[in-house]
Amino acid sequence: MTLIPQLIKDEDFRKFREFFYRKTGILFEDSKRYFVDKRLIERIEATGSEGFRDYFTMLRFQVSGTELQMLVNAMTVNETYFFREEYQFECLVNSILEEIIAHRRDKAAPIRIWSVPSSSGEEPYGIAIYLLEHWPRISELDVEIISSDIDTDILTQARRGHYSTRAIQHLPAPLLKKYFRRRGEFYQIEDSLRDVVEFTRANVTDPADMRLHRHFDVIFCRNLLIYFDDLSRKQTAESFYDALNPGGFICLGHSESMSRISALFRVRKFPETIVYQKPWEAR
Amino acid sequence: MGLRKQSPKSSASEDERRLPRDLPGLITALSAADPMTRRWAARDLAARPESCPALIARIAVETETSVIEVILTSLTLIGDNTAVAGLIDCLRSENPMLRNAAIEAMKQLPDEVAPWMGQLLEDPDPDIRIFAVDVLESLRHPQVEDWLIGVIAQDDHVNVCATAVDLLGEVGSERAAPALQALKARFAEEPYIQFAADLALKRISAN
Repeated sequence: MTLIPQLIKDEDFRKFREFFYRKTGILFEDSKRYFVDKRLIERIEATGSEGFRDYFTMLRFQVSGTELQMLVNAMTVNETYFFREEYQFECLVNSILEEIIAHRRDKAAPIRIWSVPSSSGEEPYGIAIYLLEHWPRISELDVEIISSDIDTDILTQARRGHYSTRAIQHLPAPLLKKYFRRRGEFYQIEDSLRDVVEFTRANVTDPADMRLHRHFDVIFCRNLLIYFDDLSRKQTAESFYDALNPGGFICLGHSESMSRISALFRVRKFPETIVYQKPWEAR
Repeated sequence: MGLRKQSPKSSASEDERRLPRDLPGLITALSAADPMTRRWAARDLAARPESCPALIARIAVETETSVIEVILTSLTLIGDNTAVAGLIDCLRSENPMLRNAAIEAMKQLPDEVAPWMGQLLEDPDPDIRIFAVDVLESLRHPQVEDWLIGVIAQDDHVNVCATAVDLLGEVGSERAAPALQALKARFAEEPYIQFAADLALKRISAN
């Protein structure tokens, strides 16, 4: 283990934690102290700051917000793989989409799916592959997949679409062959998929960002809310409510429950999984 | 047909809102006919602490649950003295959803709610005192045990004391034992108090 010089005092950690929480909704518990200190010190050194106070002043008052974005990129965890929690994709094609098509008011509108956080793109590209392979009605309807993340570095990576063997380990071999090309140690996703998935930057706790992400029929938000405190979770759930069309669905991670966050959504039990729905009659 | 890139028409990249987003515009939007417009106004007003009186006034007449939820979240995010006073007003509402949501909101504001707690626990209305104890249930504040001990030592309403005793069984320490014994003597004819106080004493001694 590398020893970290004691540059971040307890009081500085608390001050930083409060600031970062206000900006991102992400709350670091005391148990994350080593993780946070390590990354803070890296950014202090990378920016040539003299110490925490110098760095923190720059972070707070920098007009461009560039350093805050760099720090967000350093502090966020991006760990996922293709077809993670695949049963939710089954639910999407077997139940959710059929219900949306049957009840939606604007029959000509595209079906819009939002995957947030995008991480390096495994989830939105995975949804695209799953729809193409398992949902025959894809040929009859327009579907838009938008995917967002707070971390701009990871968005660049997602748009590039390079994956390690670990990321693709759960993909059946025929799909790997069909949608990827081997590039040395990496797998490159097909351009036809890169061209149809749109990546955007979004902080789900920032109303200004959320205002730009609306009219969705399905939101995949898996394993993000576990990093938030109760208030940020509630704030995010309420923003999702307005990001969804009436009757729209939210799919959370298997350890997450909307019922503990907000009463605005209906719990829907499908054979594959439990998801949450904005009521059709909602305004 | 099939997968396609987000079209400019379906993208919400343009701001769809029609009312001005300055303070007067947002406050006006709080009364708009469309609940979504009201929710967006309430959400944006979280960044404007001076809007607290308008948010609190809206809660009193708002009928749409989704809008009430957003207003309460905004008041919690603002979290100043005026916002807390507004949340406390909600405890007196006849709407149980609003009361419960306000209790949940107050739990998020331990430091801001603390200065009000003494007053709440002495409110003439026993229901308000019970709600105050409900707030203490998960208020992360070092004084929680002291407040609860104060309630069981002084409150003369059996239901208020019963609520406090239940909670003391979870969060209390040996310090609460004398007050629990005194409570048993004070409500010697109340079987539930006897049972709950004994249970609390048992749990405390096991810790």
